[in-house]
Amino acid sequence: MIVPPDGLVLGGIAPALTLLVAAATALILGTVRADARQGGAVALLGLAAAAVFAVRNLVDPGAHGATFGVQWVVDGASAGLAVAILVGTFLAVLLSWDAPVARVGDRPEFHPLLLLAATGGIAMVHAGDFVVLLLGLEILSLSVYALSAWRTGVREGEEAGMKYFLLGAFASAILIYGVALTYGATGAFDFASIGAALAAGAPGPLALLGGAFVLVGLGFKVSFAPFHQWAPDVYTGAPTPVTAFMSVVVKVAAFGALLRVASEAWPATVPSLDLMLAILVALTLVVGNLGALLQSGAKRMLGYSAVAHAGYLGLAVLAAGQGLASPTTVVWYLLAYTFMNLGAFAVTHLVMHDDPQGDRIEAWQGLGARKPGLAIAMTLFLFSLAGFPPLAGFFGKALAVRAAFDAGWSSLAVLALLAAVVAVVYYTRFVFAMWFARAPRAIEVAPSDAARWAVGLAAAGTVAMGLFPDVWYALVEGAGAALALVP
Amino acid sequence: MFEPVPPSYWVALSAALFAAGAVGVLTRRSAILVFLSVELMLNAANLSLVAFANRWADAGAAVAMSGQTVVFVVLAIAAAEVAVGLGILVAIFRDRASTDVDVLSEVRS
Repeated sequence: MIVPPDGLVLGGIAPALTLLVAAATALILGTVRADARQGGAVALLGLAAAAVFAVRNLVDPGAHGATFGVQWVVDGASAGLAVAILVGTFLAVLLSWDAPVARVGDRPEFHPLLLLAATGGIAMVHAGDFVVLLLGLEILSLSVYALSAWRTGVREGEEAGMKYFLLGAFASAILIYGVALTYGATGAFDFASIGAALAAGAPGPLALLGGAFVLVGLGFKVSFAPFHQWAPDVYTGAPTPVTAFMSVVVKVAAFGALLRVASEAWPATVPSLDLMLAILVALTLVVGNLGALLQSGAKRMLGYSAVAHAGYLGLAVLAAGQGLASPTTVVWYLLAYTFMNLGAFAVTHLVMHDDPQGDRIEAWQGLGARKPGLAIAMTLFLFSLAGFPPLAGFFGKALAVRAAFDAGWSSLAVLALLAAVVAVVYYTRFVFAMWFARAPRAIEVAPSDAARWAVGLAAAGTVAMGLFPDVWYALVEGAGAALALVP
Repeated sequence: MFEPVPPSYWVALSAALFAAGAVGVLTRRSAILVFLSVELMLNAANLSLVAFANRWADAGAAVAMSGQTVVFVVLAIAAAEVAVGLGILVAIFRDRASTDVDVLSEVRS
């Protein structure tokens, strides 16, 4: 291992550095020869190399320690979330591989932007203070703003980019102001010192206001209700591979940051911040699930479903932030979510086949008879998102609900269980359309083998995590730990 | 001789700036003005960071300087946001010669 003289250990930041180098390489090569596949190939190589470093951090987190003093934290949770980000980016690159077909990625900047966004996300999940968190958040967000406005000349695409940018910048400004207030109250930017200062005495209004602003700013990014309105609009307007990417990577990064802030910067002696988070979670569970009921397009439905899942993840963060549940619950859920949600968007991408209206429920009718492979994969993803055992989504939701019970939020846990019943309705609508409705026309799907590989890999991940839930849990939590749904 | 202005006045001014910016974001129609309001909010945060750094001056150089240093980070963030945001704005304006955010409602189904 390379250890520079001042004791900076490069092992911890190696995944982010590798992605940065890959992004720069792809950009420079893109100026020589404008070929999207060349950028994609560099991206896949860079992601694979970064994954090696991230898995190394995951298996052996203590050996690399906290780099940059305390500001870049390498532990099981952060390394696990970095792996989830890399997996999501890898699948998104596969999905956009045959770019000219889908009219995304036909310019050489596309894949470098994906890599830069992933770099920002990795910085966010490793952040040990608000400065690294803010920088990571902006690197991630600015790349995704540009990606979501990729289809210039397509009104929906431009509107998605504009909306996401204005609301995202607004949220960032609120978050930064919250950080400034927190500094005013505690004199610190790193989470450990903030937590110690808040635990030392009764926190004043300045600290509480700062915490509330930070919660609102991050709440925008993870799409908590009532700050969720951008999510369905942007998910619909952005190109589908970009939607697939942002729906998982932005969520993993923002929840990673929220988990770290809630568990380290907000001590258990400050219950009002936990109460605020609990109210947001309850609203999110209700709004996300009821909103999804009303949608007839797959992308919008999945947009509201992403809001609903933010509610379950919020439950897990709430319990983990109080120290009453393991952070591994959140990490486990986020990798499962990466596989199933990205898979669902990948199938949608194939079925839409460049038709902006091609995700409506009519377009899914008869898919089971015409394209059984795709229909089986989509059924798996939707059932997993709905939480049917033995798929990955079941364990995710079960772990989150159990964490809420453990932490004493019984009413929220019951609400989450009720919401899960509602969720079955809107997911199975699409499953019924695929298998039990006649196809009104011949079904053309996008001719992309790479995107099919993305679907296959995501399906394999969804099933494998459901069948062997202990493997990932033990990797993140530490050797010998086993996932237990009942105490 | 003038008395120095106490830090709390600066914090109050920054809160007023932040509130003005937030109101601007929520009420303005033009995307450019919405964006300018966001910049106002970011600079409110900067002002309060400097004011708080003054307040923590007795706590040692490391604590006081960290607040002033973060101001530069926020400035860099704001500049990067301008670059990307104006790029998106120009792309849209080219297409429809308007930056009215109320026109941006077609995505809703």
